[in-house]
Amino acid sequence: MRRVRRLPCALRAVPVAAGLVLAATSAASAPPERIVSLNMCTDELVLRLADRERIASVTWLSQDPRNANMADVARQVLANHGLVEQVLALKPDLVVAGAYTTRATVNLLRRVGTSPREFGVPRNLAEMRVQIREMAALLGEEARGEALIADIDTRLDALAARRPARPLRAIVLRPNGFTVGRGSLVDEILTRAGLVNIAAELGIESYGQIPLEAVALAGAEVLVLNDTPDGPPSLAHEVLHHPVITALAGKLKPVTLPSRLWTCAGPSVIDAIEQLVAATEPSR
Amino acid sequence: MKHRAGAGLRTLVLLPVLGLVILITAAASLAVGYAALPLDQAFADAIAGRASLPALVLLELRLPRALLGALVGFSLGMAGAAMQGLMRNPLAEPGVVGISSAAALGAVAAFYSGLSATVALALPLGGIAGALSATLVLFVLLGRGASTMTLILAGVALNSFAGAATALALNLAPNPYAALEIVFWLMGSLADRSMSHVWLVLPLMLAGWLLMASTAPALDALSLGEETAASLGFDLTWLLARLIGGAALAVGSAVAVTGAIGFVGLVVPHLLRPLVGHRPGKLLVASGLGGAILVLAADLGVRLAPVRPELKLGVVTALIGAPFLFALVQRLRREAL
Repeated sequence: MRRVRRLPCALRAVPVAAGLVLAATSAASAPPERIVSLNMCTDELVLRLADRERIASVTWLSQDPRNANMADVARQVLANHGLVEQVLALKPDLVVAGAYTTRATVNLLRRVGTSPREFGVPRNLAEMRVQIREMAALLGEEARGEALIADIDTRLDALAARRPARPLRAIVLRPNGFTVGRGSLVDEILTRAGLVNIAAELGIESYGQIPLEAVALAGAEVLVLNDTPDGPPSLAHEVLHHPVITALAGKLKPVTLPSRLWTCAGPSVIDAIEQLVAATEPSR
Repeated sequence: MKHRAGAGLRTLVLLPVLGLVILITAAASLAVGYAALPLDQAFADAIAGRASLPALVLLELRLPRALLGALVGFSLGMAGAAMQGLMRNPLAEPGVVGISSAAALGAVAAFYSGLSATVALALPLGGIAGALSATLVLFVLLGRGASTMTLILAGVALNSFAGAATALALNLAPNPYAALEIVFWLMGSLADRSMSHVWLVLPLMLAGWLLMASTAPALDALSLGEETAASLGFDLTWLLARLIGGAALAVGSAVAVTGAIGFVGLVVPHLLRPLVGHRPGKLLVASGLGGAILVLAADLGVRLAPVRPELKLGVVTALIGAPFLFALVQRLRREAL
């Protein structure tokens, strides 16, 4: 879960830029053969871009198909919990980490000379493309990176053709009653699916909590429920199954979208757009 | 004689007045919310059975919140009065002595194991089992007339154990959100509760209230001493069983749906005791009504306070209750000197 408010742009650009420089220098040497990833989102990119034999370890989170998109492959790789001992025992030649997670591990690794490459959180599809290229260069898999981006762009073009004449008004409800507002990746996903994000109109920036009352009275035509199907119980997810949501189903179109599709800014966000378009199409 | 007659009259007036205040706070609870709700239209549609959006918000979100506030407050207030009467100790309260946290532990086990997803009743039953075990432990260890010191120490032990075990259970729960939800279970909240929660706990709470209320004459007799009560024909073991069972039913099911809301059973009986002529039996229903008012008012407070996401209910009741507890401890200390 990313509840943390996003940092200002200037701060966020630093790790990206640093990553690019480091990527440029390491691309000249031999590509890494023992890759360790410490963040669920870098896990997904590594799993998509590098061959399994070169991946020494990914986080345990990526092995759960309810949370992660590449769980099948991830299960064939050793899992880590982001701990220094685990990383050092694997003798990695490349460690990738998220810019906001496992901070203590990253700092310790730096002190022992195994500097991890850090990756930020893209806020839109353009930043996502940059990150895929960056990771591909780091792994020495530029061709696969370009192929992945080309596939994304082809699918986006196909989706643009299906965009409706009149955009439907939509609101996203995530666990714990969170919604997604302006300046977030999900906001762009909704726009690309031909939906108007009501939360953005209400002035919510990136992530914010919204009371169920406000959701019910927002005048939405589409309610996007960000659920983890068959997930273990939590109060956070109970909000998504409140009787008022069931009662609302007669007045608007509920669309259940698994959280894992947009937990990370990876190629699966295109799946999210496709599912949204497909779910709202027949009503037009 | 004159004093007793005055007390009787006051009690006679007290209950209707408390009832009226509950109605007012409950009405305010329906009117206060996070979105602008056209109340007249909502009521008209709800009565006519039209499932309009305002009617939905009124019936599915605001009504269960107000009802649960009243039910949970009544349960906590009455259980506080019952335990204080039984243990003849002003600090005996479900929250202070650890019964609420044990109930939270039971509910957490039932909820996060997935049991309550298959059998809904498992949630309140888990809470009741937790509350019952804690109450039994208290009585087996301390017996009735326990000193304030031992009671508080036992409460500290039970509270820290149940709190730690709840934290452990939440950390072991497979859902990544679970670990953060300890705040709900330890502090309590009425946010986003539904009518299904109301129906789930209402029968169990009613049973608990009736059990506790049935002990009123025995509690009055007990205030004259155990031997006197026994000589008046009251079976003390049977009294104990009904009180423990009733309090566990009411507190356990309350905590299972709203988390542990502290201090209600401490503050309310103390404020109302002089108004019922210090009769522990009469205090039961009065404290229930007072508890309902306190929880409803606290819940209005968290929604009106400009803090988002809203404060947990237990935070507000603790702000009221903790100074109260300190004052009480101070008074007990002075009396002991």
